[in-house]
Amino acid sequence: MSAAVFELRVQATFGGFELAVELVSSARRLGLFGPSGAGKTSLAESIAGWRAPRAGSIALDGRTLFDSARALALPPERRGLGYVPQDGLLFPHRDVRANLAAGGGRASLRRGGQRALFQRVVEVLELGPLLERRPATLSGGERQRVALGRAMCSGPDALILDEPMASLDHALRQRILPYLVRVGEEFELPMLYVSHEPIEHLVLCEEVALLERGRVTAQAPPADLFASAWHAERLDQAPRNVLRGTVSTSTGDVARVALTPEIALDVSAAGLAPGARVVLGLSADEILVAIRRPEGLSARNVLPATVAALDASRAGVVLRARLEPEGPCLDVLLTRASTESLGLAPGARIFLVLKSNSVRVLSALAPSG
Amino acid sequence: MAGASTIEVLLVTLRVAAGATALIALPALALGWWLARREFSAKSVVETFVALPIVLPPTAIGYLLLALFARSGPLGSETLGFDPGVLFTARGATLASAVVALPLAVRTARLAFEGVDPRLEWMGRSLGLSRAAVLSGITLPLAGRGLCAALLLGFSRALGEFGATVIVAGNIPGRTQTLALAIFTDIQLGDTRGALRLVGLCVLIAFATVFAVERLLRRPKEGA
Repeated sequence: MSAAVFELRVQATFGGFELAVELVSSARRLGLFGPSGAGKTSLAESIAGWRAPRAGSIALDGRTLFDSARALALPPERRGLGYVPQDGLLFPHRDVRANLAAGGGRASLRRGGQRALFQRVVEVLELGPLLERRPATLSGGERQRVALGRAMCSGPDALILDEPMASLDHALRQRILPYLVRVGEEFELPMLYVSHEPIEHLVLCEEVALLERGRVTAQAPPADLFASAWHAERLDQAPRNVLRGTVSTSTGDVARVALTPEIALDVSAAGLAPGARVVLGLSADEILVAIRRPEGLSARNVLPATVAALDASRAGVVLRARLEPEGPCLDVLLTRASTESLGLAPGARIFLVLKSNSVRVLSALAPSG
Repeated sequence: MAGASTIEVLLVTLRVAAGATALIALPALALGWWLARREFSAKSVVETFVALPIVLPPTAIGYLLLALFARSGPLGSETLGFDPGVLFTARGATLASAVVALPLAVRTARLAFEGVDPRLEWMGRSLGLSRAAVLSGITLPLAGRGLCAALLLGFSRALGEFGATVIVAGNIPGRTQTLALAIFTDIQLGDTRGALRLVGLCVLIAFATVFAVERLLRRPKEGA
């Protein structure tokens, strides 16, 4: 039983809008998902201390930032948060270097750690070429990278990312997402990620809370949340399965991605350099199941697996298969009839068949240095 | 010309206007910030009170100051136990110009502060900056041009002050006689050439300051 990382109990009325959030999670990367107007930004700003809730308590990683019962409300400068809003809010009168250094005065940084952190952030987010530029001369994607960098450089104890990519077009999101993945992995900070894009949650978050009309109405790992009936209409955009791996070899338009040292997947994607870290998405209904190793197939991926669980629902049967040896799990959507005719049961050895072009590359980050 | 050279008049005028600007600089910026950033119940009363000198006849303001600093007035020498040296002195002219110039400076300063996105200030604090550091590092630099314009506008208004000044400080050549008062004197004495010369000077100075104000208030080019 791991300790709660996020303990958010917020009751507030902001401009006639009622926020009544009750959200406790032990996920270190927690997503907040919901339609616009659901109160996502109000909640993020309450955590940051920009707005004062009427009642409740806010604690991150065991540290209480707000507690109405104890009349405790830390001012924003003592909350130790790196906050990245949708519009970046870069200081327009300072160049990028000064923006990044703006938050360098925190106590946690005073003992010489600041320069090292600055250099690490500049490296991870590839900000070097931008340092002398003014915010007004940056593109949307560059601006958000700098905003993220500035939050990181302030030496925060946690990150609040409020739709950091909402103002960017699809192509730019694809370019920024890997940086977010990298920040999440390299800095290991608790992160609250606000977005209405399922794919971003799938790639970044361990758990996602659904916020509707100021209330948390569901909370689950992203794949489960987005696969639930409530979100059926979004299923086509949000792949059920998310896998992480490293490109081992690349020939023209097919890359081989190692998921574990023993398990690899062929993916149709041009321009993936060996060493690139990728996040892959796979729809549950594009995976075939065979009970013997099939031969003479055009599909490039035939992966041995074991049936871990079978879950019947209205839409069909969700088969959870663990890739062998000791790989990640994949969910496969089957009809009831085919489940019965194949005689599938937990523990059964099967083969998963995947076309290389049914695997989507959700995020790819070239090896740095 | 009644006893004072044009240069002398100009020097008195600049000294009075500069003194008035220095006097109102802090109160104008503080009031402007307060009105821009704070909500309180009596705000519209304060706003009205601050704007009053714009619409009151300057002579009325002059009379109020005169009554305030008269020997037995609330700030007079009998009440205070010493002479504050306001009536019929350059100090009085400075004070009268300051009172008249204040509302213009406050309004412009308020607009300058309102032009700064408060979320940028919140962001500064979230990055760990104290309120004072946010004020000096974010708010003041971003409002800077507008605040300069506010002070320059106050300075311009003080330059042309007549009604309140003549009542509080009189019209003493070389001491309290500013350009506005000297023009009045020249016209009274029928020295039209002298008056015209001073009017020309006034137009020059006014043009220069208002031109500078307009330049400052124009939105600076992004990224410049």
